[in-house]
Formats: sequence, C-alpha cells, structure tokens
Amino acid sequence: MYTNKLKSIYLSILLALICLLLPWSGFALTMRPDFMLLVIIFWLIRAPNLCNVGTAWFVGLFVDLATGGIFGQYALAYTITAFFAVSYQKRLVLFNGTQQLFYVFILLFISQVSLLIIKTFAGAQFMGWTYFLPSISGVLLWFIAVMFGLDVGGRSRGN
Amino acid sequence: MARHFNNNLEQQQAPAFFVRGPSAMARLAFFSVLSLALMAADSRLQYLLSVRQTLQTLLHPLQILANAPSQLYRDAGEYFSTHDYLLSENKHLKQHALQQDIALQKLNTLALENEHLRQLLEANKTIVQTSVAAEIMHVGRDLFSRKIIVNRGGSHKIAAGEAVVDATGVIGQVTRVYPLTSEVTLITDKSLAIPVQIERNGLRAIAFGHGRDNTLDLPYLPANVDIRRGDRLVTSGIDGVYPTGLSVATVSKIGITPDSPFAHIICAPTGGVENHRQVLVVRMPNIEVQAEAELAPTLVLKAIDAQKAVKESPVKLEAKQKKPAQLNHMSKQHVHE
Repeated sequence: MYTNKLKSIYLSILLALICLLLPWSGFALTMRPDFMLLVIIFWLIRAPNLCNVGTAWFVGLFVDLATGGIFGQYALAYTITAFFAVSYQKRLVLFNGTQQLFYVFILLFISQVSLLIIKTFAGAQFMGWTYFLPSISGVLLWFIAVMFGLDVGGRSRGN
Repeated sequence: MARHFNNNLEQQQAPAFFVRGPSAMARLAFFSVLSLALMAADSRLQYLLSVRQTLQTLLHPLQILANAPSQLYRDAGEYFSTHDYLLSENKHLKQHALQQDIALQKLNTLALENEHLRQLLEANKTIVQTSVAAEIMHVGRDLFSRKIIVNRGGSHKIAAGEAVVDATGVIGQVTRVYPLTSEVTLITDKSLAIPVQIERNGLRAIAFGHGRDNTLDLPYLPANVDIRRGDRLVTSGIDGVYPTGLSVATVSKIGITPDSPFAHIICAPTGGVENHRQVLVVRMPNIEVQAEAELAPTLVLKAIDAQKAVKESPVKLEAKQKKPAQLNHMSKQHVHE
C-alpha cells in the first residue's frame, strides 16, 4: 500500500513533467496550467505523510531546469505554496467540492504571485493580466479531474 | 489537583502517529534559504553551468518523448500531402533555385572582383562565415523571456554567442549550449541588443528587444533623426557577431513627443521569429583575430612601445609623454579619413 502510493506519486510527477515538456506555443503557452504544481497540491492534500514542502521544492527544481530559468525560482515559489497547502491541510480535507476548488485556486494564485515577485527582482517585466490565466485553467483541470472521479479525499469523496 | 493534571498533560508527548518531523514553518525557512542560495549561485557566480548541462542531457529523452506526438502528426501530414501540392511545390522550388543560381553566378564574379580590389587596396580580406542548419524543437517555456530551443548543441560544435538567422532575417543569438540542444534568445527578448544600420542612409543604431510584444525599440536617437516609416534595418556587423547586411526589422512606428529629446521608434522584426522551423546558426570565425586586424598594425606597435616605456622608467615619463599624445592625434586623423 505504502510503496504503491509512492510509486503512483513518482509516476504522476513524471507524467506532469512530460505534459510540461510538450511543445506548447502561442496562446496555448499562455493558457498552460501548471501541471507539476497541481500534482504536488493533490499529493499534499491526499498523502501528507509522503509528500511535504521538500517534495515541492524538489519538483520546483525540475521545473526550473525545464524552463531554463535561474535555478531556484520555481523551487521557491512551490515551497511557499506548499507551506500554505500543508498548514491548512487538515481543514482542507473537511471542505466540500466547491470550497476545495476555491482553495486550490488560491494556492495556484499564490504560486504565480510569488513567482512574479521573484522574476521581477531578477529583472523581468510584468506581461499583463494574461499572466494569471494558468491559475484559472489549472482550477478547470482540477475540476475536470474531480468530475472524472479523481479522489481528493475528505467530504468531496461523494457523500 | 487541576494543576497536577495540567502538569501531566504537558509531560505527555504527541503520539508517534501524528509525528511528521520538523514543522512546516521550519521546512519553509530551510527550503527558502536553499532556493535563495541556489539563485545566487546560478545567476551571480555561474557555478551551476555543468550541473545544468548534465541534467538537461538526462532530460533529453523525456523531451523527445514529449515531442513525439506533434512530430508524428507533422510526419503523417507530410506523408498524406497530395500529389498536386507536391508538384506545384516542386515547380516553385525549381523556379526559385534557378533565380538563385543566376544571383549566385553574379555573386561569384562580384566576390572575385571584390577580393581583387581589396588586394589592390592592400586591405584585409573579408571573413567567410560558416553555418550549421538547425531545427526549432520548441518555444521556451518561460513566459518572461523570449527564447527557442534548437536541436543542435555542443556536440555539433555550436558555441554560445553565435548568431541565428532564417531565410528572411536575423532571429537571435545562441545564449546557452547543452550537449544536444541549445537555447537561442530571440531579438525581441528584453535582454538582447543588436547593432543595426539603416539601409537607406547608413545611420548606425542599436536595437533592443521590447520583451512584451513582438517588437524592437530604437532608443537614444534624437527627435530630428532621419528615419521614415518602412525603413529597413540591417545588421551593421561592427559587433563581430552578426554578419553584415542581414535584414533585422522594418520601422513600423515613429513617435515624437515635445517633452522628450529622443524619438520613440518601434520596429517589427522581418525574420519569422515565431513561425519558421528551420534556422541557420552562423559562426564568425576568429573574432579576436579580426578585431586585431582591424586596427592599423603600426598604431598597435606604437601603443605597445609607449606602454613599455611608461612601465620601464617612471623618471622618463615626462619625456615619453608626447608619444601617447601623438598617437591620439594620429588615431583621430585615422577616423577622419
């Protein structure tokens, strides 16, 4: 059971990495949900004993590598997000579907804002409000996954 | 009694069932510091270059796997393209090749003539650049910068700093080289500047990427500068990176405001920055040699002499001071000529 769960964590992270590596371009790139963060948030809620802030940091490093930016930017953004996810995890399990969806949106938004701050310090320029579209598409993806029977745990399990 | 009970409670430890190691706050602090250290090490000290190259090579198979569906789709599309389309394309290409053959013949005679004239003038030979064809693998994933990844890297002898062009103009410069791929920063990126020349009147300027949209800026030009809309900007070649005379952009908008001494000029890149698949990576051979050759040899020798003299004897400094002054004068004359 324990090793099975670990295996599925690794497998899902690998799948998310491949999704990230798909050749996105143009509007699809602007809309692209943050697959890696979604997977990490899912496991932070579902298996808090296996997945923690450190996991998020490590996954963030892979995203840094894939995007070709300075090492540690995504890692820091994911760490901050994971902190909020972990500190409210016990409450989160009690939420119903809609509340959970709203909370996931807040988490995605937090990661984007922290990334924006980090990037601005590094000299990048804010590109306009389309920057926050991935949060919305990410929540949509979460919603679709739950609709198709993804078991997030807690009250949203269907009762 | 109540106090005793409280004491008992405090002594109790949390059951092992709830123990999860250090608190989330501690982990946050630890990993934040670690990330900040990594950022500093990567951006300021450049320690992580080899680490990045190794990891990128490990990631390469995954990248190919992720590229497979779109590659398959394109290949299938090519396979099922119609007979008519192939015929018309073939005809078009033949015509194009014929036109270019004629131009090439002219070019050969012109090159010979140019070389001959340069020999007569005893001028330096122009440099012949070599190039490597590459294909764009994917657009950079970072929304904050404008980059592309091409499928040629260190194992194909590509080096950072080389220019990248396509059939219609310059598109960027190689900024990072991995063993099998390399990262090209586009001319529209905010961090890239390219020395240009206006084709009509030869005015030199530097074009900066705008970053946010697909345009270039021409800053630091006075409001009364001789630039019209539709002017073509070509590479000036004085940087030793880009070959001379390649098309870069066309001027699309000129704004002059009374409160600013500078004109606000916006240009649209001519190269298919976002829509071509094949590109050429152009290498300028022996940039250092070229830079030395451009200085007049006598001037260099004299400058070295003057430096030696200054180093050798501080006492003779006054006597020798005339020489650098002379040198300055001479170089000014050189510029005027």
